[in-house]
Amino acid sequence: MKSHNTERISALADGELKGLSRWLTHRHVRHCPQCANEYQRLQRVHEILTACPPAIEMSDSADFFWSKVRREVEAHEQETISIPMPRLSLSDWLLVHRAALATVTSSLMVVLATCLMLQQPRPTGPGAVMVERVDTIIPNTVATPLKGTDSDVAVIWVSGLEWTPDLDQMKECFNNIET
Amino acid sequence: MRWFLGVVVSALLAMSAEAATVQARLVRASNDSKKADKRLTDIEVKLKETFGYQFYQQLGAQQRPLQAGTKLRLDLGREFVLFVMPRSADKHQRELELEWYSGKTLLVRSVVKIVENGHLFVKGPEVGNDWIVLAVGVRN
Repeated sequence: MKSHNTERISALADGELKGLSRWLTHRHVRHCPQCANEYQRLQRVHEILTACPPAIEMSDSADFFWSKVRREVEAHEQETISIPMPRLSLSDWLLVHRAALATVTSSLMVVLATCLMLQQPRPTGPGAVMVERVDTIIPNTVATPLKGTDSDVAVIWVSGLEWTPDLDQMKECFNNIET
Repeated sequence: MRWFLGVVVSALLAMSAEAATVQARLVRASNDSKKADKRLTDIEVKLKETFGYQFYQQLGAQQRPLQAGTKLRLDLGREFVLFVMPRSADKHQRELELEWYSGKTLLVRSVVKIVENGHLFVKGPEVGNDWIVLAVGVRN
């Protein structure tokens, strides 16, 4: 025992310590004048209490006493007793309302997760981008919807358009098409 | 608890109020170019997978916020114009009516259902050894 522990000294005096802790406390008391003094004081108190046991005399017999108690309890059984609630600090309130706190926290997490999921791009599945209808009115030309390499890609393949060597001729070519 | 519900409702309303934007890009697919067009970084891989060309050059692009019932005109340059008419929309998917013109000539018209960050590629006319491609996407 490195420090003076009055609770241990008291426990030793009360005979509550057993085994190693009892031996260690005894050893400390033998070498520590302060604790030895405290131990002796407590032992003296014990001696005094043992020498003068409390002489309490009950006016009634035990059976009669308990029957009175029972009657008292039954008489006041229907009474409503209001117990004033003490004012709780925040930490006390959180301790008391642990279930509510857990519910609010989990609800908040669910809402946040939902918000995040709404902001995320939708996972691409079959038909994520889909060509519903496609046509062209240029003669001898066909527009065909094709599936892309990924489901978030769709392709329209317009074939049959006239080939031109450069962009200027292409413009001229399309301007001359009669549809 | 009321303040908490207020915050949640406000957040949901704010998210739903975000306007989606349609973006159209006119792209030239080629095997002759020397370097990749950085403006097409986000779709270059998909273009390569779809059309097989090595290089893609953006000739023109325009994006506009989608408005229900409003026909949008997107000028892509080289006299190419895309008209976009939103038909319906849910949280993730939009139905669009598209008309792709070269000058006054309607090349192709289509109705597509497209998701956010999804792409529609239209393989258009062939110019020299290259192809003209229209890329359409919707994003928030």
